[in-house]
Amino acid sequence: MSREVHSLAPDEFLDAVHSFEFWFHSIQGYLANTEFGHRPGTPKEELPTDRRERLITVLCNYCVGETAALDGASGLIGFAPNRQSKIFLATQVVDEARHLEVLIHRLSELGVANPEQEIQLRSTRSLSLFRRRLIELVASKDWEAAIFAQNVILEAMEFAAFQSHARDADPITRELLEGIIVDERRHMGFGENDLGRRLALTPHVRARLLEVKRELDPLVLETFEEMLSELGVPRSERPELGRNYLATVERLGFGS
Amino acid sequence: MNILIVKLGSIGDIVHTLPALAALRHAFPEAHIDWLVESRCKEILLENPTLLEDTIYTTTQLVVGERCALAASSGLINAAPDEASKRFLATQTLDEARHVEIFTQRLFDLGVKKTELEDVIKAMASPHLVAFAGVLLEKVDKKDFVAGVVGQNIVLEGLAFSVFEMQHAVNKELNPKFAHTLSGTIADERRHVGFGENRIGSLLKDEPHKKPAIEKMQKDMSYHILATFAEAFRRNDGAAEEERRLASLGAGKAEWQGADLAKLAPAEMEQLLANTVLREFKIRLGRLGLEYQTPAAP
Repeated sequence: MSREVHSLAPDEFLDAVHSFEFWFHSIQGYLANTEFGHRPGTPKEELPTDRRERLITVLCNYCVGETAALDGASGLIGFAPNRQSKIFLATQVVDEARHLEVLIHRLSELGVANPEQEIQLRSTRSLSLFRRRLIELVASKDWEAAIFAQNVILEAMEFAAFQSHARDADPITRELLEGIIVDERRHMGFGENDLGRRLALTPHVRARLLEVKRELDPLVLETFEEMLSELGVPRSERPELGRNYLATVERLGFGS
Repeated sequence: MNILIVKLGSIGDIVHTLPALAALRHAFPEAHIDWLVESRCKEILLENPTLLEDTIYTTTQLVVGERCALAASSGLINAAPDEASKRFLATQTLDEARHVEIFTQRLFDLGVKKTELEDVIKAMASPHLVAFAGVLLEKVDKKDFVAGVVGQNIVLEGLAFSVFEMQHAVNKELNPKFAHTLSGTIADERRHVGFGENRIGSLLKDEPHKKPAIEKMQKDMSYHILATFAEAFRRNDGAAEEERRLASLGAGKAEWQGADLAKLAPAEMEQLLANTVLREFKIRLGRLGLEYQTPAAP
């Protein structure tokens, strides 16, 4: 896309950014010439058994998160308030489905014979509760609460986890996480813009969003804790996932 | 080979140049042909108020149908029982949203203002198509995956498939830009119908006792779609007459199913479409081992 979209008038900006043209252009920048999220020539690192097992657990939980994101984003389309939002969410739906596909493919590469069954076995309790609550919010058709839970809270949680993990992951996992992180940024941008516009018009909505945040924050933080303790990471060596998540949400304009 | 025809205007001259375009296409079937015209002459069909109104009506039905398909395919993701179906439906959601986008853009190209879009759609949407959307989305809301797939991927897409093909034939010469858009849509629809057939086919293989229930779903949901087609044909004979007149001025044949659509009266065209839609629909149902059930008015 040759135009500088940020110089456009608000309506033109929405038409330009919430379009397939924009989406195609965006993803070509980082998905062209990749197979299942990584370049074909990326070296395969042989992982020792314990590291491989830990990676499988982490990836299984990422799959739960991405399934929640897929179910959530697709459910939002039915009551999205306008045409441009429906178009954006359709691109988000296919992004989330792609994430699920590449993560499941990575599980297969790691020798998991039945990924769906393994995901059931290894998913953490808090994340499953988070997923259930997100789908309830979407089913209630409360646009502000649902888009906040989906495109701010869930995406910020994934963003914090993936960014931290990508730093010391094996090369293939790192590449596929980096591709997902770029998508997450776009999804958070949509949530931030949509809710930002709404909050400017109806400031009282913020109180309801903070209520949702108060309910979901503990589930996010417990998810990180549960996962890290299942992985056997000593407390002193644990990455600051919770702090990073809270900082990301605050940067998006939703500090407590 | 690239060919550029330079004939800037007027409308009358452009119409009389159409035989040359047809001859070039016949002589060089693989060539890429561009036509340089003044922007006001871009779509000659749209200079004619009767045809313009008819084209807006038809495009509105496409937007309504695709909006319904978008709501249904995205709504079904949450109800899908396995990860592979979720993934397919995610790609279908993307396809349907793209169709909504391009057909909406088509309405803007036809002169519908952005601020008037919803009013135009409300005024022109076929009540039968709106009723069908209501029936289908109720099933999707109830997370009835099988009924949703039958309604969306077998009834809606299966019946609409032949209509898209006929629209493509009508527009191929007179409106190649729109015909190109339609050809992309047809390719997507083929994939969606394939998913529906595979999914329902596997279900019937595993659970053959569900056959009568699925046949009943087809019977209950087909009526409104067939009524939408009939309504579209009967509402504007004048537009069909104009299309034939313009085509006879030299835009070449609009061949489909062995007939030249430019020479058919509206009633003959409706009959041809009805026969084709039903024949192909019955073949598809037959592949699943299902009997076509004549729909009854609700």
